[in-house]
Amino acid sequence: MEKVLDILVSGVHDAKNQLFFAESVIASAEAEHSIALGEARYAIEAAANRLSVALSAYRLLRHGAALAITPTIVGDLCTEVALAQRSHLAGNGIALDIDCRVVDEWALDRDLVADMLNNAIQNAGRFARGGVRLSAAQAGEWLVLSVEDDGPGFSALPPRRGTGLLVAGRLAGLHARKTRHGSLHLSNGGALGGACFTLRLP
Amino acid sequence: MISNYNKKRFLVIDDQPLARDALRTVAQTIGAFAVEFASNYQDAIYRIRNNVPDIILCDYILGDGRSGQQLLEELRRFNLLPDECIFMMVTGEQSYEQVVSAVELVPDDYIIKPFSPDKLVLRLDRIVAKKNFFASYYKEKRRQEYAAAIAILEAHHASEAGRSYRFEILRQQAEVHLASGNADSAEATYRTILEKYEFPWARAGVARSLRKQNRLTEARQEIEQVVARTPHYFDAADLKADICMAQGEHGEAQKVLDEAAKLTPRNYRRKRLLAEAATLSGDIDTACAAMSEVIANDTMPGAISPEDRLAFARSHVNAGDKISAEKVLIAIRDAEIQAMNLTEQGSFAALLAIASPEKGKIRFAGLRPALMVAELNPTARLDVVRAALSVNDNELADLHTEQLMAGSEAKKAFSSLRSQYALFGREMEFREIQRQVALKRIHHDDADPGELI
Repeated sequence: MEKVLDILVSGVHDAKNQLFFAESVIASAEAEHSIALGEARYAIEAAANRLSVALSAYRLLRHGAALAITPTIVGDLCTEVALAQRSHLAGNGIALDIDCRVVDEWALDRDLVADMLNNAIQNAGRFARGGVRLSAAQAGEWLVLSVEDDGPGFSALPPRRGTGLLVAGRLAGLHARKTRHGSLHLSNGGALGGACFTLRLP
Repeated sequence: MISNYNKKRFLVIDDQPLARDALRTVAQTIGAFAVEFASNYQDAIYRIRNNVPDIILCDYILGDGRSGQQLLEELRRFNLLPDECIFMMVTGEQSYEQVVSAVELVPDDYIIKPFSPDKLVLRLDRIVAKKNFFASYYKEKRRQEYAAAIAILEAHHASEAGRSYRFEILRQQAEVHLASGNADSAEATYRTILEKYEFPWARAGVARSLRKQNRLTEARQEIEQVVARTPHYFDAADLKADICMAQGEHGEAQKVLDEAAKLTPRNYRRKRLLAEAATLSGDIDTACAAMSEVIANDTMPGAISPEDRLAFARSHVNAGDKISAEKVLIAIRDAEIQAMNLTEQGSFAALLAIASPEKGKIRFAGLRPALMVAELNPTARLDVVRAALSVNDNELADLHTEQLMAGSEAKKAFSSLRSQYALFGREMEFREIQRQVALKRIHHDDADPGELI
């Protein structure tokens, strides 16, 4: 099984190098000719993101993934997610609002959590009417990260979980401190009245 | 954008031409004026040595069995990377994240491909902000003004601006405590970090601090946890081996290092440790092979120290190959010998006296007055004991043996000493020294409580 994983890892690695090259060429063309090709770059990053998620899903389900926990400034994490998503959402007439109220560093798997939030915002963007909000707050000993939209909300609760949500839930649960484990909650209502994706991390 | 990247000098390190081009393009898009390349490990070291860039973008996989992490460690080891220089690791998939979350020696940040120029700017801006925040601390640390460095970190820890850097502040504090010989404060600081989160590097820090306090059993317990949980954290394996050697468990030390060295074949610092452990455990072939690989392949200028040549000669002596040992020793230039400290000179004279009595005996005898009063490290003491026994200078041999047995490295040296004394038919004398040291220790322990009252 280790062998299959190695093959997948090296394949994803090569594909990402190619995607990175494509993105750099586009970025350089944008700068040189003053044109906006943000959507092309967004598509490339989304493709790379799918590869990452697929690989982590495989790792998680077959091997039991280990997280890579580093001290992370929560505000920086939100800024980065906003950078990746804001202009794409704006192109569809949706405003992305960031509300981060956490000053301290938090021990979490930065890239994994960023991936989860990026996916959640992409999903929210599909159903939102005009607004998506990413918020971060500390509730007691928990970090609460939420993505809300002003769309119709989940048609059924709990919603049918696809691979993405299943993996997200498992990965949230891997964040652990002493006896407390992270979790993923899906609900309707929230501040914007639509669907609400909430990660609680210890 | 906080910084003006068009005045900065970038160095892009990647063995893949395509990825190199992409990194260059991204650097140019954010305004980089000067972008240099290195296509491999050696080339990168050469360029950084000649002229330290402002910003290094380095791929994690460098080909030829080398990694960006190894490059980073080597640059720090030779002090080629000032705190002001930005080192950013670039990685294609998740394996590097596993490394960076475990180890003590980390780059300023890492970034996963593909990424946009905007994202790179965001990350670089943050690093610049962080380096500005720590600037006054770096200055004191570099001047080895440890008290001042700690004072700055404490003020930072209490400040509002420091809230975003709490872990880094504590980590730096612990490192300064260790560097300034304050191992119990270092231990306390690492434990404060562990209350927040079980970081492998912080647990290893506790073990390192305990090792410095010579609390070996506890140190061993802590490091075993780290090694079991994060097997890819090779520095933890090195530390475990070091603790094992101090406990006299040379075979276990060698086993740990052997496994780690197999997975990191081009880490020559680890090969040196392996040679040391193998020497102590009596595995002469392994020690010899490891040292000869170090001498042949650690090509960094200045990387091969007199200590390395002495270790190589020692491994030949152990193998009974006096001719090879002599060759290694006489190849050391006079200027190098003169620049040696007393410990190295002691080893040199002792090893030469063993390898080639006609060449070495006189030098060894000449050094005798100094050796009678010198504080040497355990390795040099062992060399001296051995040479002294071989020239029938029992007084000198017994003196260093007694000091070794009375010191904190007694367990490390015990089996080597015993076999040397046996070789010269002096088992009884060795046992007598042992007895005397034990008596003095009991005496000393008895006296202690009285002093406390």
